[in-house]
Amino acid sequence: MKPYRISKKEKLSLLSNRPRIEEVYNGLECQHRIASNTHKDVETAIAIGRKFNNEVIRPIALEIDRKCMEDHNYLPHEFVRKAADWGLFSLFLPKMFGGGGLNFYAIYPFMEEISSSCAGLGHIVNVHYCGVATLFPSMNMNVITTVFRDVVKSERQGKPRLCTIVVTEPESGTDSQEPLLNQYSKATSNVKRVKGGYIVNGKKIFISSGHLSYWHIANFFEDKSDKLGSWIQFAVPNGTKGFSFGTHENKMGQLACCASELLFDDCFIPNKLISARALDPEFKDSEKGPRWVCHTIVDHVTGSSRTGTAAISTGIARNAYETALEYARKKRVAGELLINHQWAQIILSDMYRNVNMSRTVYMESAATLALRGLFKLLFIKPIHHFIKIMPRWYFTLLTPIMKSRLATWAMRQFYFHRYPTEERNAASGWGSACKYTCSDLGVINSNLAIDLMGGDGIRHDHMAEKCFRDIKLQQIYESTNQVNQMNMFYCLIGSGIPEVEYFK
Amino acid sequence: MNAINTDALSAERQAFAELAKDFSAKKLFENREEHDRYPFAELITDAIRDAGVVGFYGVNLPADFGGVGMNAGMVAVILEKISEIDASLAGILFSNAAALEILKAAAESAGETGIYTAIKTLGTAPIAFPMYDSPDEINPVMLSKDGGTIFFGKICNFACGNIADYAVVPVRKKEGHPYSYYLVDLNDKGVTKSAPLVTLGLHGCPMVDISIEKTPALLIGKEGEGALYFRAMQDRMSLCVAAMLLGIMKGSLKDAFQYTNDRYQGGRQIIDWPLVRMMLANMALDAKAAEAILSMACQELDAGVHGWEQTAQAAAIHAAELAVRATADGVQLFGGNGYTKDYPQEKRLRDARQAANLLGMIPLRKVNYIARIIEEMA
Ligand SMILES: Cc1cc2nc3c(=O)[nH]c(=O)nc-3n(C[C@H](O)[C@H](O)[C@H](O)COP(=O)(O)OP(=O)(O)OC[C@H]3O[C@@H](n4cnc5c(N)ncnc54)[C@H](O)[C@@H]3O)c2cc1C
Repeated sequence: MKPYRISKKEKLSLLSNRPRIEEVYNGLECQHRIASNTHKDVETAIAIGRKFNNEVIRPIALEIDRKCMEDHNYLPHEFVRKAADWGLFSLFLPKMFGGGGLNFYAIYPFMEEISSSCAGLGHIVNVHYCGVATLFPSMNMNVITTVFRDVVKSERQGKPRLCTIVVTEPESGTDSQEPLLNQYSKATSNVKRVKGGYIVNGKKIFISSGHLSYWHIANFFEDKSDKLGSWIQFAVPNGTKGFSFGTHENKMGQLACCASELLFDDCFIPNKLISARALDPEFKDSEKGPRWVCHTIVDHVTGSSRTGTAAISTGIARNAYETALEYARKKRVAGELLINHQWAQIILSDMYRNVNMSRTVYMESAATLALRGLFKLLFIKPIHHFIKIMPRWYFTLLTPIMKSRLATWAMRQFYFHRYPTEERNAASGWGSACKYTCSDLGVINSNLAIDLMGGDGIRHDHMAEKCFRDIKLQQIYESTNQVNQMNMFYCLIGSGIPEVEYFK
Repeated sequence: MNAINTDALSAERQAFAELAKDFSAKKLFENREEHDRYPFAELITDAIRDAGVVGFYGVNLPADFGGVGMNAGMVAVILEKISEIDASLAGILFSNAAALEILKAAAESAGETGIYTAIKTLGTAPIAFPMYDSPDEINPVMLSKDGGTIFFGKICNFACGNIADYAVVPVRKKEGHPYSYYLVDLNDKGVTKSAPLVTLGLHGCPMVDISIEKTPALLIGKEGEGALYFRAMQDRMSLCVAAMLLGIMKGSLKDAFQYTNDRYQGGRQIIDWPLVRMMLANMALDAKAAEAILSMACQELDAGVHGWEQTAQAAAIHAAELAVRATADGVQLFGGNGYTKDYPQEKRLRDARQAANLLGMIPLRKVNYIARIIEEMA
C-alpha cells in the first residue's frame, strides 16, 4: 500500500491525537455540520450593521464621545431609542421568543461592524447580548422566556429594556469570574433565603450599560464556604424594591457605554426570578455535581461573551485601520502623499493583516460555539430548519410549553447533564484565545494608526486617539487578558496533561 | 535613581532635580485628576505661572538673556521628575525648551542674537511651538507675495498656542522652497486661534490650531535654514522626550508596586501571583532600559562624544516604545480600576502615547535617522 493511503482505522487514530479536529477545526466542521443557509443571516447582519453605522452611529460617534467627556452625567438614551427603532435589541433573539431570529453565528460579525464606527455606542447593543448570553446558559426556560419576550415587547413599544451582565464587586473581579478561583473570592454581597425568595445586600460595580438597562442578570454566592457550589443567578428588573443605581465610572474610553454601580439594599427577589441555583437538588445531587455545573454555566457565558469581546476588538482594530488609510490618502508628508511612502504602505499592510487575522480567530471561536458551545442546539440542522420555517405566532402559541419545567429539564439535560467536558473546554478555550488575541491585535492597530498619523493622531477629531482609548478596555473586562491566557491553558493545553496544576 | 544623575553631575543639576520633584509634589499632585479634565475644566494656570517663577522656562536660555544657560540635558532632568507626577506641565516646558533650542541653533549659525530681545516674556512664560509635527508633516505658512515679513496660513496641533505670547513658526517663501523659522507675536490681530483641542493625553498642555493672516514676524537666524535648526533642536530635545517618557514609566511602576501590594485576588496579594510579577518585571526592565540609554545619551552630550545625536534619537524612539508598553501594563495591573480616572494609570498611558509623538511621527523619525547614518557613511 502506498504510504499516503491510510486505512479508516489508522486515520481515526491519527486524528484522535492532538490537535483534534473537534478542538481546532470547527470552522471546517461547520461546512458540513450546520445548515448551508447559515451564511445568509451573517450577510444580512453585516449589511444591517453597515447601514446602521452609516445612518446612525458614524454621524454622532465623536460628538457623543465628546459630550460624555464634557458632562459625566450624560447618558445616550436617544441612541438607545434609535437602536430599538431598528430592532437591534431583539434582532438576534431566537424566533421562539419573538425575536428577529438572526442566528448566533451572525451576531459576531454584526458586533464587529457596529464597533468599527464607535465601540462605545456599539457596546450598548453588544453588552445587551452579553446579558442575554448570561441568562441563556441558566437554561431556566421560564425566566428566559419571561425576560426575552419582555425585551421584544418593550422594544416594539419604543421603551427598550436592555439586559446587563452583573458579576464584579469592589473586592472581587478576577476571582468572581474564574471558576478555579471563586473559592477565594472576597465578594461581600450577601444573599439570604427568605419565604418566597431572597434578600440581597451588596454592591456590584463596573456593570456595563447599567444605567441604560432594565434586566440585570445578577450573580452571587449563597454559601461563603463553598462559593462555586452555591452560585445563584437572578434576573433583577428595574424598580425592584431595594435595588438602585449608584454612580457610574469616569473612565478612559468607550465613554458612551456607562459602567455602573448597582446597589442592593435589602432587596427582595422573588423565587420566580431565580434563573439558576447551584444548591437546587437538580444540580446539587447531579452526577457531575454543582461545581461542575456552575463551572459549565460560567464557561457557557464567557465562551460566548468573550467571542463578542473579540469581535468588538476587531471592530476597533478595523476603525483604526480604516481611519489611518483614509488619512494616508489625503496627507502629504515630505512632499509625497503618505500612502505613497513604502514604509506607510507596510504599516497599512500590517494593520490590514491584523484586522483579518483577528476576524479569523473570532470566527473560529464562533464556529466552536455553534458546534460545541452555547449555541449547539440551535445549529443542529433539523432544529435550525424548523425554527427558520415556522412562523413567529406558532412559537407564541407554544409559550406555555416553553415556560414549562419540562422545557427547562430538557435543556439542562442537553447543556449540562449530558454535556461533555471536552466540548466545554473547546468552546471556553477558544473564547479566551480570541478574546486576548483580538484585543492585543487591536491595541497594536490603534498604536500603528497613531504612529502613522503623528500629531493628527492624538486629536480627538481624527478618531485614532479614540480607538486607542477604547481598545484598552478590551484587554481588561471579561476577565483580564492574563486570566484568559490562564483559562486557555487550562482548557486547551493543561486538560490533556494529568500532572498539571493551576494557579500555583 | 535619576537617569541623568547617574554620574557625579553638578550640584546645580541635583538642585534642579530636587526643585522639580518638590514643585510637582506641591503644585501638580493634588487635583491631578481635575486638571486632566482640561479643556472641560480649568487650566493649571497657577502651576504654569509658578514654573516661570522658579525659572523652569529659562533653563536652556543663554545666561546673557537671563537664563540658566544649561543644555537640553538639564531640561530633561526637570521633565523626568515632573512627568513622574503629571506630564502635562512637562509638555509646556518642552514646547518652550524646543523653541529656545531653535533660537539657539539659529544664533549659533547666524552669529546674531537680536531675536532674544524681541521676546518680552523670555524665560518667564512659555513659548508656543508645533512640537508634535516635524516640518515635513505640516504645510509651513507662506510668506506673502511681496516677500516681506508678513505671511498667512494655518498650522495645526500648536502646543501652548492659546497660552503663550510668542510662537516659533516654520515658514516657506514659496511652495517647494526650503523653510525658515519666524517669531510671531500671538497677540497680533492677524492671528486666530481655534478653541482648545481635545487630545489623547497631556491635557494640561493645551493645543490649538492657529491661522495667520497678514501677520508681521521676525526671521529667526538665516533664511532657508529651518531644516538645519530643526535637526539641531530635534537631537537635543530627543533627550527631553526620553526623559518625559521615563518619568511617566517610573510613576506608573511605582504606583503598580503599591497597588499590587494592596489588592487581593484569588486569596493573596496580587503581587504574589507569578503572572503579576512577570508584568512588573517587564515594566521594571523597560524602565531600566530607557534609563540606561537616556543616561548614556546625556553623558555623551556632556562629554561632546561624536555621534551623541544618534544616541539621543535612539533614546527617544526606543523610550517611546518602552513607555507605551510599560504604561499599558501599568493600567492592566490595576484591572478595571486602571481604566478609571480614579487612579492615575490610564492618564499615564495616554500621556505616554502622546509624548511618544513629540518631534514628529515615529516612522518618519526612523526613516530620517537611518538616512542620516547613511549620509554620514557616504
Ligand atoms: C469599563 C468596564 C466595564 C465592565 N463591565 C462589566 C460588566 O458589564 N459586568 C461585570 O460583571 N463586570 C464588568 N467589568 C469588570 C471586569 O470584568 C473586571 O474589571 C475584570 O474582570 C478584572 O477584575 P478586577 O478589575 O477586579 O481586577 P483584579 O482582579 O483586581 O486584577 C488586577 C490585576 O491582577 C491580575 N490578577 C488577578 N488575579 C490573578 C491571578 N490569579 N493570576 C494572575 N494574575 C491575576 C489581573 O490580571 C490584573 O492584571 C467591567 C470593567 C470595566 C473597566
